Amino acid sequence: MTMTGYQNNVLRVDLSAGKSSAEPLRMDFAEKYIGQKGLAIRYLYEELKPGIDALGPENKLLFTTGPFTGTGVPCSGKLSVAAKSPATGTINDCSIGGHTALKIKYAGYDMLIFEGKAAEPSIVVIDDDKVTIEPAGELWGKGAHVAESMLQKRFGKDFGFLVIGPAGENLVTMACINSDYYRQAGRGGIGAVMGSKNLKAVCVRGTGSVKVANIDTFSEKLISYLQENVLLDDNTYVFDTGTTAFLEACNDGGILPKRNFSDTTDENWTQYNGEVMLSKLAGKRGCGSCGLGCGNFIKWEDAIVEGPEYESIAVAGPNADVSDPYAILKYNEVADDMGLDTISAGDVIIWAMEMTEKGIHDFGIRFGEAEKMREYLGLIARREGVGADLALGVKKASEKFGGTDFAMHCKGLEYPQYEPRGSWGMSMAYAVSDRGACHMRAYAPNEEVFAASIPPYTSEGKGEMVYGLAEYNAVKFSLCICDFWATLNYDIMADLMTEVTGKEWTADDMAAVGRRVINIARAFNQREGFNRKDDTVPKRIVKEALKSGPAAGQVIPEEAFNDMLDQYYSVMCWDKNGMMPQDLIDSLL
Amino acid sequence: MKRLKFQKAKCIGCQLCAQICSAKKEGVICPSKARIDIETSYDDGKLVYHDNYCILCGICEKNCPTGAIKMGDYIEVDPALCTACGICVEKCPKHVVKIREEVAVICDTCKGDPNCVKVCPQHALTFE
Repeated sequence: MTMTGYQNNVLRVDLSAGKSSAEPLRMDFAEKYIGQKGLAIRYLYEELKPGIDALGPENKLLFTTGPFTGTGVPCSGKLSVAAKSPATGTINDCSIGGHTALKIKYAGYDMLIFEGKAAEPSIVVIDDDKVTIEPAGELWGKGAHVAESMLQKRFGKDFGFLVIGPAGENLVTMACINSDYYRQAGRGGIGAVMGSKNLKAVCVRGTGSVKVANIDTFSEKLISYLQENVLLDDNTYVFDTGTTAFLEACNDGGILPKRNFSDTTDENWTQYNGEVMLSKLAGKRGCGSCGLGCGNFIKWEDAIVEGPEYESIAVAGPNADVSDPYAILKYNEVADDMGLDTISAGDVIIWAMEMTEKGIHDFGIRFGEAEKMREYLGLIARREGVGADLALGVKKASEKFGGTDFAMHCKGLEYPQYEPRGSWGMSMAYAVSDRGACHMRAYAPNEEVFAASIPPYTSEGKGEMVYGLAEYNAVKFSLCICDFWATLNYDIMADLMTEVTGKEWTADDMAAVGRRVINIARAFNQREGFNRKDDTVPKRIVKEALKSGPAAGQVIPEEAFNDMLDQYYSVMCWDKNGMMPQDLIDSLL
Repeated sequence: MKRLKFQKAKCIGCQLCAQICSAKKEGVICPSKARIDIETSYDDGKLVYHDNYCILCGICEKNCPTGAIKMGDYIEVDPALCTACGICVEKCPKHVVKIREEVAVICDTCKGDPNCVKVCPQHALTFE
């Protein structure tokens, strides 16, 4: 059946042919996978042949909205960006904030598909139903901020922009895509996929509308869910502090990594915490349809960022043994402008610091060298000098130069800044995540450390725990709702889906979608040859005990890690090798 | 008389005000058709506010040549009298009056119970 909330319209841009065309949305996919993450992965499962080069013209880059996008459902402003990852070879879906998702929807599209490769560096301009492909000209080679500023001057503030920096142009597999200057689809080299298509920017204006099934009841529910559920203390901390609040929680919980994950906790954390960063607050900005407004616009001398997020602070701060808040902010700004993921680029630099200090290979940088750290971002983005080696990422660089024992990654995606030895479930969450080490697939510290509802230093019960978290996130990100609406539950999701689409949805339906999304992502990866051998944990986590902080003495025994994997596979009905049976795959299609 | 008031320091630029306005008044969600236009953007390292909303100044009523616009506690447009001449659009200091389907479209503060205020998550919009 046709569901309202969708535009029932997909824009397909063939960059090789220089042509675009609109086509109906696969509503059969939408009924099973809703939107955003799930819908994008289902499309890619259908349209990508196994074994293709992620940086070749056969890969496709999908910008996907969901039924809630543009409706005003609180916290529904995010946009999914998906492709096969050049960093991992797995499926990769990212989520980017800002306002561009709404503009795509108001322009009349549920999804934009970019395929092929433009003959020359190009931009694509989508102005409602008018689509043009133009030469990128002098935009090519520019930093993402400069490029977006040039585009904004030309097209005006009513347009939204998705832009890559030099890292994406140079096919660095840690490259991100920027939007609204300070928001990023960061992980898995999604910006390199855009660069591989010679696509510098996508510019979108939308002046159209979105319809829902019953506008009157929907409007009332929108207001009541916003005022009575979203704007609760459990959620509004993000307005006050953003994710800087996690610094204290992670430090106190023994999961704030220090010196390339060699230890945790940092006695200097108050030098660069949220209080310090927010002393330079210059404004607040949320995404479109947001109620919470996590974006802290910070100006510290010449460093300008929206954030800074916990991840960027932790990797450029304690994990690099840096305590200078300006240096952390400037690192964040330069990484954004170069179009580099702050997490992966930071991880490869701190790995190089340890390599140099251990005398394994001299990368010319040591812990604490903040200025050099941000200079290295430019070298990596442009593949110059030492940057050419570090642009390989932690996995490939360690295979070339040594130091694999402390190469912090899974499947080639560098570790987020949550130390698993203080939150054992996180080691397995990183391992079974659909795109390598990602903290957004199942956020174990919430249960094991912050709420402390489940003991952190045991494998017991972790299969069910991680599955529950992953199922919830998978459906939430397929609906396009932001992580920060933490009091969201399946009943609310189902109620809003019913109001928007006009089709009856239940809480059980939501759970079923979540499970299906995890499975279709796994099916994609299985088709690419991934199985248990790839669901790994870095040696450091299973061999070296933490020395400091509340989790001192903790190390995850390999048998405990394997036990957690066994549990998870069992919950998922996958075999001991982490493989899905064919009848399960068939049921997803 | 109660008027909409806007405190930009509290605004997060979410556009929920324009979304709910169009939902209530147009039956679809469409910020470009809303009777309020408040948003923010970044421009060369600055956070810029665009705050177009009806302040009930009455300039549209004063300049209407046919008497189609009446302002009591809120504004009402009589479609039978409106000739869509566009003078109200031209004179509106906040650029929020539009002509659509041959009639002037102006904020009526939801007849004294504005939905944009009800939805505003950070109380940047108030009615006082």
